[in-house]
Amino acid sequence: MDIIQLALVIIVTLGFALLFGKYLARMIVYEVRPLEKTLGRVENGFYKIIGIDKYEQMTWKQYLYALLLTNGIAAGFVFAVFMLQNYMPLNPMPAFSGDLAFMQAASFVTNTDLQHYAGDQQLSLLSQMVSLIFVMFVAPASGIAAAFAFIRGFIRKNFGLGNFYVDFTRIIITLLLPVAFFSAILLIAMGSPQTMEPSITTGTIEGKSQTMVTGPVASLESIKQLGSNGGGYYGANSAHPFENPTGVSNIFETFLMLVIPFSFPIAYAHLLGKGRGVSILAAMVIGFGVMLILGLFHESGPSGVETRFGSFGTVLFNVASIATNTGALNSSLLGMNHDAIISLFVGMFVQAIPGADGTGMMTMIVYIILTLFIVGLMVGKTPEFMSMKINPKDIKLAVLVFLAHPALILIPTVVAYTTGSAESLFDKSTPLSFTQILYEFTSAAANNGSDYLGTAANTPFWNWSTGLVMLIGRYLPIGLMLAIAGSFTMKDRKEIVEPIKTQGPVFVGILVVVTFILTALTFFPVLAMGPFSI
Amino acid sequence: MTTKNSVSIINGKMLADSVTKLNPTYLAKKNPVMFTVEMGFFIVFAIALIPSTNSEFVNESRIFYLESSIILIVTVWFATFSESLSEAQAKAKVDSLKNLEKEVMARKLISGYDLIKKDQELVSINDIPTEKMVTSSSLKMGDKVLVRAGEIIPRDGIITAGKAFIDESMMTGESNPVFKEKDDPVLGGTKVTNDRLEIEITAEAGKSFLDEMVGLIESATRPKTQNEIALTLLLAGLSLIFVIVIGTMLFLGYFLGYRMDISVLIALLVALMPTTIGGLLPAIGVSGINRLARDNIVVKSGKGIEAAGDCDVLILDKTGTITEGTRRAIEFVPMTNFTEEEVGQVAFAASFNDSTHEGKSIIELAEQKSFDPQFMEEILASRPIEFSSETRFSGIEFVAKKKMNITRTSDDKISKRLSDLEVSNQQIRILKGSVDSMLKIVTSVNEAELRWKSQEISKHGGTPLVVAINDEAIGLVSLKDNLKENICEKLEEVKVSGINTIMITGDNYLTAQVIAKEANVDQIMAEAKPTDKLNRVIEEQNKGHIVGMIGDGTNDAPALAKADVGLAMNRGTAAAREAANMVDLDSDPSKILKVVKLGKQLLMTRGAITTFSIANDIAKYFAILPAMFMRENPKMGLLNIMQLHNPETAVLSTLIFNALVIPLLIPISLKGVKYKPEAPQKTFLKNMLIYGFGGIVFPFAGIKVIDIILSLVMK
Repeated sequence: MDIIQLALVIIVTLGFALLFGKYLARMIVYEVRPLEKTLGRVENGFYKIIGIDKYEQMTWKQYLYALLLTNGIAAGFVFAVFMLQNYMPLNPMPAFSGDLAFMQAASFVTNTDLQHYAGDQQLSLLSQMVSLIFVMFVAPASGIAAAFAFIRGFIRKNFGLGNFYVDFTRIIITLLLPVAFFSAILLIAMGSPQTMEPSITTGTIEGKSQTMVTGPVASLESIKQLGSNGGGYYGANSAHPFENPTGVSNIFETFLMLVIPFSFPIAYAHLLGKGRGVSILAAMVIGFGVMLILGLFHESGPSGVETRFGSFGTVLFNVASIATNTGALNSSLLGMNHDAIISLFVGMFVQAIPGADGTGMMTMIVYIILTLFIVGLMVGKTPEFMSMKINPKDIKLAVLVFLAHPALILIPTVVAYTTGSAESLFDKSTPLSFTQILYEFTSAAANNGSDYLGTAANTPFWNWSTGLVMLIGRYLPIGLMLAIAGSFTMKDRKEIVEPIKTQGPVFVGILVVVTFILTALTFFPVLAMGPFSI
Repeated sequence: MTTKNSVSIINGKMLADSVTKLNPTYLAKKNPVMFTVEMGFFIVFAIALIPSTNSEFVNESRIFYLESSIILIVTVWFATFSESLSEAQAKAKVDSLKNLEKEVMARKLISGYDLIKKDQELVSINDIPTEKMVTSSSLKMGDKVLVRAGEIIPRDGIITAGKAFIDESMMTGESNPVFKEKDDPVLGGTKVTNDRLEIEITAEAGKSFLDEMVGLIESATRPKTQNEIALTLLLAGLSLIFVIVIGTMLFLGYFLGYRMDISVLIALLVALMPTTIGGLLPAIGVSGINRLARDNIVVKSGKGIEAAGDCDVLILDKTGTITEGTRRAIEFVPMTNFTEEEVGQVAFAASFNDSTHEGKSIIELAEQKSFDPQFMEEILASRPIEFSSETRFSGIEFVAKKKMNITRTSDDKISKRLSDLEVSNQQIRILKGSVDSMLKIVTSVNEAELRWKSQEISKHGGTPLVVAINDEAIGLVSLKDNLKENICEKLEEVKVSGINTIMITGDNYLTAQVIAKEANVDQIMAEAKPTDKLNRVIEEQNKGHIVGMIGDGTNDAPALAKADVGLAMNRGTAAAREAANMVDLDSDPSKILKVVKLGKQLLMTRGAITTFSIANDIAKYFAILPAMFMRENPKMGLLNIMQLHNPETAVLSTLIFNALVIPLLIPISLKGVKYKPEAPQKTFLKNMLIYGFGGIVFPFAGIKVIDIILSLVMK
């Protein structure tokens, strides 16, 4: 049964990734899409409204600026809604505190969706719809757009990286919206509610009555998974039967999380060489496989398993969710075996197996550049990527991307301890409590969004600190990676083979090993002190 | 450099230098990784010295702090030692050169002096009192000097007469004297061991090889190459990550209730940081220039060496690089009506006054086949027709005599024809020249046949010469250039390492193609004009290739300057030497292959040690983490897969291992990683296995062995 589930997820994901990958490739190089004329007209309308020239090409700096601006506006809007939801229509709820509103705005716009509140108790229908669902499109569209620009940096020479507004619009209208729409309908069919009623009251079998919170759950759910967001409608997130009603919806949602991240290497294959793309896909699949095996190593305890999905379904969903930095969990982390927790940490440390929509692919390419430079000199040539020389500037940027991650996890963790904020949550410092705090910042830095703490972390310290970590963890690497693309787009392109081909089983093996070793060297001590010692 | 030599370099001065380099301000600027290690030393040493230090983070024995601090400072010293060693090698060279640069007395040959030459042998030069003793610094370019056995050549020059063995050991390290003859370049400062030489000075005072070398090696501000900068950034980034990891560990461990000790954390930090490559990087850089200097190549910038490693297109001159440059006659091809012997006889006659290698080789071939002409007397009495650029042929002209004595033998057609001509009172000229030039004067010939036969010769890689008596073509001589010794193997090596070779030649396409095939060259540029070289360099660069080329002529200079790796010949013109980024003093064009190999080795060495350094870290974690945490957390014992004696020996043996790896790898960094020409992917896999996989496994064994020794010693 488990094997069938796994096979089903793999086949369906890879099958659709082939389809989506080709489509992404067309979007990246502006090739004709199905329904191009109609879509073009709709998009052109948008460009006119916001007043942009769709032919304008942006440098990496302009692209980053446009991305930051758009995200800033979205975040500001969400922040306002959270602060003012008590004045808003539908079913008003008490407004958020300033620090919580800041943290949540940062959380949603950075594609993290770490939640220090319980949606079913603290958000109004309007907030869920207008702010949450809206920003759940903005965040992944920004990540995917950045990846488009990034990939263009390796294709074009001395030319802009594209136009952020155009990419952003096209991604939302012709990729995320239609897929999310159909997925929502399927989810409704699987039992997710989609209604404007804030709650329903039914009788229980004991003859008493029970009130259950409802709302537009299915429409949130589909983009939550597709867009590697992960913020639940309910506090229990995907463990809640309305968000993830059955074993079938469990598989379907797993597929939704995986499909876009795995489509990127396929798009890459179409644009920059079949072997190269397939090799990246292979490296991602192997990394994902390692996580999954680690996660399945020991059976999780009874509290770590949702009976609807079984042990395997639970681990598969959670591993997929962490690996794609979606962060929606269908069970409690506390019940999971410590090996499984280590596997989840590894996924968030690496961020690229396959990682979030768009940014996972970008991170993977940074790993390739680092790997090529470390081992590539051994051929006796200056390392090259895509037949372009890797120069000191690229190495500096790549190292900074790699450096930012541990800094954003470890330093705030220490701050949490030295300021006593860690102790305020737990009476005693144990490996388990340490794991929970480490997990919080790891999740924030990786823009993952899963956590142990939940509403317990709704204090000014945790809101501000995780908010900042999420913002830096999102935009610093994106900025650095766009700068790498900007550097590569200026380079001379050769028609000749690179000294080390970035394809084939040997390269895949070395890439995976180097990536895991670099990650392990950085995080070995905290993993040993934390989950390993539980 | 042999081991004996490196040992002799280790002296008090060099050791003192390595200690001076421990100065923290120097390290902070030059080597951030080692600077961090030294800071670690200061902290641990202070803890060891300051009495009754009491803190949460200091809880090991005083002896332990002392021991670890000593190991730390020794680690730094190993690094400065390797740098000093490679600098000492360079300096030894400079010093020996400077000794040679001392003023010497030279025998200047004053103008008006006419050398009596016969076959380039000097005859009784002693008797001619036209030499004047001057100081070497007063010599000018173009001056001629005489150098006798045991004397030192005053400055760089070219031998104009004489041959001798020359001792160049002080310059090149080659201990056997080198035989040199006319037209060979000689280096100022080298010693003539026997006989005597007449030398024309080719360098201005202060501009000789010696001066260039001294200047190059002495310039302390050797700019870092792009690769070195990138690698330094990577290492700094990794070090910074480890500083963050270890720094945060101090607090986290403390809050989790572990007894954290500063010195153990410093030990872990030093072990994790890429100290091996960080320590050896400067030495590797200097060794590149050193090793080329040993091969007699003066490098003007490190950039050239690095580009050499990346070089994937080599533009090679046919003559001098691929072939000996001396064409020899290999075959006589008769026209119809004539025999091979007759062609041989006529060719002999036509070449009688030709003193070039080609002319001599025709005579040799004729003699070897016993095709001696029957009309020697006439030949001896004949007048030479010199080769001129207008006529483009040469030969002899019979002097008209009253009475001819050409022997008439019935079977000797040539003699018969000559006497027939003589009888009819015609002027007799026996000529040889290229097909085109000769076709202008020979009329009695089947042109189609001549063209066909000359093409046949071309097809086999030969150059055809037509020999004729007056207006009648007798036949052709096939001249062929010999391939240089081992050139085929050398080019095969180049090929497998993924480098494309292009042969440039003035020969026609057919000939060039044959030679290219024989010599293993990938592409040819036939019938090339001097300007074509530059165009080709630009064309290849536009395709994204890194181009290496050699040159010696002034018209090579633009191409040399444009090429990524330009190797000029020392005997070439000053313009060429100026334009190139390295100069070969032996003027051996095939040295470019050596340069490419060394460039690759340099990059490989850096990559290999970097990979090794990072791979080592895994074992170090497994040694130190259990030592840190096992006391409070028995579960950490699971990580103690090496089963080290106790926490103290675990930390010390890791540190000792970390320190010892540096001197262990000094020979590799100075000599370079072993390089075998083969497909890049293969080299990569092999090195990955040795330095990557080996780098993971080796420290497990090394640390365990040191731990066993320590546990025995400390008992």
